[in-house]
Amino acid sequence: MKEEDVLTAKMIESGELNRWKELLRLRLTECGWRDQVRLLCRDAIKQGNLEEMTVDQLNNEVTPKARQLVPDAVKIELLTKIKTFLQENTLQESQ
Amino acid sequence: MQTKPNERSASVFAQLRFADCSSLFTLPHYRRGVERNTQLRIVYTKPYSVGVAARQPLLDSEMANDGCVHLKEYKSVKGFRTYRLIHAYFVSCTSAEARRRKADSCICSICKKRGPRLHICLHCIYFGCYSGHIQEHAHRKQHLLALDISHGRILCFACDDYVYDSDYENQACEIKEISNRNLGLPHQYKSWEPSLIEQELLLEHPRRKRITHDSTIGLRGLINLGNTCFMNCIVQALTHTPLLRDYFLSDRHVCQFSDRPDHCLVCEVARLFQEFYSGSQEALTLNRLLHLIWTHARHLAGYEQQDAHEFFIATLDVLHRHCTGANANGGDSNSHQCNCIIDQIFTGGLQSDVVCTSCSGVSTTIDPFWDISLDLGTTPATGDTSKVPKSLLDCLERFTRPEHLGSSAKIKCSSCQSYQESTKQLTMKKLPVVASFHLKRFEHSSRFHKKISSFISFPEHLDMTPFMSHRRNNNNNNSDLAASSVADEPYINDNRYSLFAVINHVGTLEAGHYTAYIRQHRDNWFKCDDHIITKANIKDVLNSEGYLLFYHKQFLEYE
Repeated sequence: MKEEDVLTAKMIESGELNRWKELLRLRLTECGWRDQVRLLCRDAIKQGNLEEMTVDQLNNEVTPKARQLVPDAVKIELLTKIKTFLQENTLQESQ
Repeated sequence: MQTKPNERSASVFAQLRFADCSSLFTLPHYRRGVERNTQLRIVYTKPYSVGVAARQPLLDSEMANDGCVHLKEYKSVKGFRTYRLIHAYFVSCTSAEARRRKADSCICSICKKRGPRLHICLHCIYFGCYSGHIQEHAHRKQHLLALDISHGRILCFACDDYVYDSDYENQACEIKEISNRNLGLPHQYKSWEPSLIEQELLLEHPRRKRITHDSTIGLRGLINLGNTCFMNCIVQALTHTPLLRDYFLSDRHVCQFSDRPDHCLVCEVARLFQEFYSGSQEALTLNRLLHLIWTHARHLAGYEQQDAHEFFIATLDVLHRHCTGANANGGDSNSHQCNCIIDQIFTGGLQSDVVCTSCSGVSTTIDPFWDISLDLGTTPATGDTSKVPKSLLDCLERFTRPEHLGSSAKIKCSSCQSYQESTKQLTMKKLPVVASFHLKRFEHSSRFHKKISSFISFPEHLDMTPFMSHRRNNNNNNSDLAASSVADEPYINDNRYSLFAVINHVGTLEAGHYTAYIRQHRDNWFKCDDHIITKANIKDVLNSEGYLLFYHKQFLEYE
């Protein structure tokens, strides 16, 4: 197995991936991102044809805008957590 | 003006719609969310969310006719067992074993990658990614339903979209809860949905109050009934406590005095909240409240000037007693294990560690508190004037500093069984949602009584982390304990507070006047001087003298 796969497996196994996900969910709710994206979805649905709109279409339309709305502070916090995890786990490997 | 309280309550409640009313209706399970979201704001009743079929109609009743027939058929044949198993192993892992399996097997059968958007077939547990491999499998085998691994949404290939079923949705929520518990994560936030009764109420009362940015709703002047400014300013602070407001405006109080509801202070406060948020701008008269306080806290009865802090504590005490239905004169109602709204919002836990100087044995006690009284004068022991606190942080630092108890106060040590000198340290074991600080500006000693008017700066945002027990406690013999408590901490921990009310006293010890600054709509400040309310800004607030300071926790945890 490639090192990348090993690390991903470790993230899942330790539950760390899940923790990050929950933290991210929380931060995005706190900063109002969730509400903003909800509004984006509403607008997209209003403008499009409600009968024909699928989740995939909505996803394609909203995702680029939603990504831009994620505050830098949130990205940095998550990145730091991931980096720490990677450092700790690659160190163990080399020892 | 004279409408019956009950009618009024229902109609005002129905007129107010909140942004994500979660915090209103999920009490006592506090939503860990943003205070901002509990501010009055208008939103749509039924939220859409990404991942739920966009064709989702507005009401559940309509949806029942419109749901995916394929999923319905699947449900009637297979029930929930397969879905639950798949969900518990591959979506929200409920055990370490499940996580291991997920790590091992969540890989696309064709391209051997973990994504993009890995799905799992609900018929034969086949893993395929969304770049074509799960679709291919579905069409080849005619297996119509697949589960998205990262979000747990069901995809129907016949409908060509994600579909929704409330039964499966409930199962998913249940499993998610178990999974979070397994990882030691706080409860999951759920957005509010109206119950059947609430839906009816909303339909019956179609009028909605729109809260705009410059709205003055929630602001009411209060008539001075003769030296009652101490009460007026506390009422202003209480009615602008975000969580308390949410509690009362969502009609959560159930009166414990069924025989005499006019006897209940909580009912009176509920009525006041209705008045405050009714939109009327007329000044209110608090004669009923005053009378109730006089009846239940007799030491405050009379027309003299009273101390606002004393009134605040007495009010909390009576409210707490009436919430729990304890006899009004019962006195010692146990506040340790109480779950009433007053205790949920205002009660914190103060840890006191007494360390024996001889054997270093620690005896720890934890006491509940409603507010923290902070000394402003010189330290009595040293009398060193350079140590006079200049800010709230100084005061808190001093409050949580180890203090040598001296030779005149020897305590029997529980570990070495002898009377020894000791040091005592107070720290925050549990933080309340609303932290109330009382700056002891009125000094009463045996020789003199005076007011300390020195300027004490206080911040708009306050982080209480440095004063928490595990942080502050640096006793050597306690280090193991401290380390373990850090590890036990919830993964996400945030002790930031923001200021929402300040009560000021002008004048002397003998005669003076109280005014309050309160925060409204997140960042608007107003000065409440009895019946006169004027706009203020944060600078005015932070430059004011400060007697009682009220801070609200920025992020609320589920309990």
